[in-house]
Amino acid sequence: MRSQTNIFAFTIITFVMMMLFTPEKASSQSVRVLVPAGSFHSVLPEVEGEPIQVDSFFMDETAITNEQYAEFLRENPEWRRSNIPPIFTYDGYLKTWKSDLEPDYEEVGENRPVTRVSWYAANAYCSEQGGRLPTLNEWEYSAQLLGIEDEAEMNRFSSKLISWYSGIDANNLPEVGSTGIETTTGVKDQFGLVMEWVADFKPIIADEISLDCGTVGRMQTLNSVYSYAASIRYITRMSFNPKITTGMVGFRCAYDESDRSDQTKHEVTL
Amino acid sequence: MKSAITKFTLLTALLMFGMTSFLSAQTEEYKIDGMTFGMPEAKVYTEDYNGSPVVGEYITQAPNLAPLDYEGNKHHEVRLDIIVQEVEVASGVRYQAWTFGGSVPGPVIHVREGDRITFTMKNRSDEMVEINEPMSQMRVNGKRAMGPSDLSAISNDGDWTSTSPFMKQLRENNFQKNKAGIMPMPHSMDFHAGTVAKDDKWRTVGPGETITFDWVANYPGTYIYHCGTPSVLMHTAMGQHGVVVVSPKDGYTEDYEVDREYVIVQSEYYLTKGDGDLYQFDFDAAYNNDPSHVVFNGHQTILHDQPLKANAGERVRFHFSNNGPSGTSSFHVIGGIFDRVWLEGHPANEMRGMQTVLIGASGSATLDMIVPEEGKYILIDHEFVDAEKGATGTLKAGPRKK
Repeated sequence: MRSQTNIFAFTIITFVMMMLFTPEKASSQSVRVLVPAGSFHSVLPEVEGEPIQVDSFFMDETAITNEQYAEFLRENPEWRRSNIPPIFTYDGYLKTWKSDLEPDYEEVGENRPVTRVSWYAANAYCSEQGGRLPTLNEWEYSAQLLGIEDEAEMNRFSSKLISWYSGIDANNLPEVGSTGIETTTGVKDQFGLVMEWVADFKPIIADEISLDCGTVGRMQTLNSVYSYAASIRYITRMSFNPKITTGMVGFRCAYDESDRSDQTKHEVTL
Repeated sequence: MKSAITKFTLLTALLMFGMTSFLSAQTEEYKIDGMTFGMPEAKVYTEDYNGSPVVGEYITQAPNLAPLDYEGNKHHEVRLDIIVQEVEVASGVRYQAWTFGGSVPGPVIHVREGDRITFTMKNRSDEMVEINEPMSQMRVNGKRAMGPSDLSAISNDGDWTSTSPFMKQLRENNFQKNKAGIMPMPHSMDFHAGTVAKDDKWRTVGPGETITFDWVANYPGTYIYHCGTPSVLMHTAMGQHGVVVVSPKDGYTEDYEVDREYVIVQSEYYLTKGDGDLYQFDFDAAYNNDPSHVVFNGHQTILHDQPLKANAGERVRFHFSNNGPSGTSSFHVIGGIFDRVWLEGHPANEMRGMQTVLIGASGSATLDMIVPEEGKYILIDHEFVDAEKGATGTLKAGPRKK
C-alpha cells in the first residue's frame, strides 16, 4: 500500500516539477545518433511472444561531459550547486567540483562524463537541449544493439560487464567515447563508463518485483549471461531515488524523431 | 526571470501534501511465547554523519566476542555504515570490497536473547572513509583522539557512544591492510537474527541515504547478516556479510563454563585478476560455484598468522557461521572432537561427540571442544577443496594450567 502511494505522489510531484522547471533556452552541443525503430526483449515481465516495440529516436552519441554540464550551468544558474533546491538533489550534487562553475578538471576531467547529478538535474539538462532523458526501453533497446552474433563471445562480453558493475571506479572514470564499446547504430559507451539515468528508471513494476535474494533469478527471463547483467543494471537503477547523486551515474539525452530535420541539422553543424 | 522562490514554495506545499499519503499504519507490538513482534516502520532519510562507521559497545572484530557485562536485557544502538575498502584477502590478492563497517566479514555484533536493537546504516559507498586515520572518530578517555600518535592511548573506558571496540581492534590489527575506496551502489541490510517484514526493514538504500529500524533478538544463536540487494550473489561475494551472536538468556549448559569463546566466519571469494594490480569479482566463477578463495575470518592465512590461543584441558567455544554465499562447510578440528554442538546456536539443538558438523550457506553452529593437550590443532573445512583454497586455521594450545 505504502509503495503504491509513493509512486503516485512521486509521479505527481515529478510531473509538476517538470512543468515548472523546464528551462526556456535551447542550445546544441552533442552529436546525436539516430536509433532506428525495432523491438527487443527486456528482463521485466512482458506479454509472452510480444517483444517491446521501440520507435525510432535520436540519442546522444556519448554521455554528457563535465564541460557540457558546466556550459549548461552557465546558462541556468538555478541548477548550480549553490542554488539547486534541496528537493531536487541530495547534498552530494557535483560535490567534487571546485566551485559552482568549475568542474576541477584535474579531478574530474573535461571530457569525462558528468556524474553526481540527480535525476531532476539530468532532466533539466536534457530539456534545455530540446530533448529529454531516454526512456528505460529506449536506452535498453539501444544498448543491446551490439551486433555480437556469436553466443560464446556475447557471454564473455556479458561476464566482463557484470565484473564492471561490481567495480566501477568512480574516482578514475575514463573519457567519453573511450571504452571502444559502440552499438551498430553508433551510440558509444552505454557500457563500461558509467550507469545512466533514464526517464522511468523506477517503473511501476519495480514495487512488484520485490528486491531480494531471488529477484535476479526471476528477472533473468532471457536465460543468458547478458540478461543476468541486465538484471543487475535494472535493479540498481530501480533502487535509486531521483535525488540521488552518485559518482557512477551520469546520463545522456534522447530526442524525438519528429524533430528529425532539426536534429539532422545539429549533426551537420557539428 | 522565473521566480525560484515561488516554485520552491509551491513544490514544498505539494511535497507536504504528498507526505500525508506516505504515512501508513504502524504495526502494533505484540508477544507470542515471550517473543516480541511488530516493529515500527523503518525510516529512510539523509543525515550529515561522517563519524565512525561502526558504533556500539558490544561490536568486535572476529574472532573476538565482546563479553556481555550487563544483566537481563538491553536496548542497543548499533550503527554499521556501508563503506568501500580495498582489502587483502590472501597474500598479494587485494580487491575493492563492499563492506559493512570496513572489513570482510563485517563486525561481530553480540547481544542477548530478548535484546532490542535500534539499527542505523548509512550507505557511504560514494565517500572515501578512512578507517585507519585520521583518528578523529576515536575516543580517548572520553575525549576525541587528536591523531595517530594517540593510538596507543586509546583505552577501553566504556564510552562507545560514538565508536566501537571493533574500530579499535581493526586499527590495532589491520590485517586486511585497508585502504579507502569509492564504489557507489545501492545496498541493504538483512539480519537473519531479526524477525520482520523484509520489504520494510531490509529496504535498499542508495548512496547517501540512511536507514534506521528496530528488531528484537527473539531466538538465540549465531546469525549471518548480509546485503539483500540483488544480485545478492554479487553483493555478498563482494564482502557484505557478518554475524550477530545472540547468547541464550539462560546460557548453553549448566554443566560447565567455557574458558574461551571465538567467532569464526567461513566465506568464499570469487576473484580474478583485473586490469591493474587489483582483483575483481569473477561472475563466471561465482555462477559456477568455483571460488578462488575459501577463507576463515576474511583472509586466507589470518588464523595461521594469528592463531587462536588456548591451553590443554580448557573448554573452547566456537561460534561458527558459514556465510557463503554459496558453499557448504564441513567444519572439523584436526585432533579434536566437539564435545557438544548446538546447531544454529540454539540451546535446544544439542548434539554430542561430533567429529564434523555440516553447515549450509547462512547456517551456523555453536561448538564446544575440550583442548586435549599442548600443541597445534587445525580448524578446517573438511571439504578438502575448500581447505586447499584457504578454509583452515590454527588453534595453538599451551600446557595445562589448572
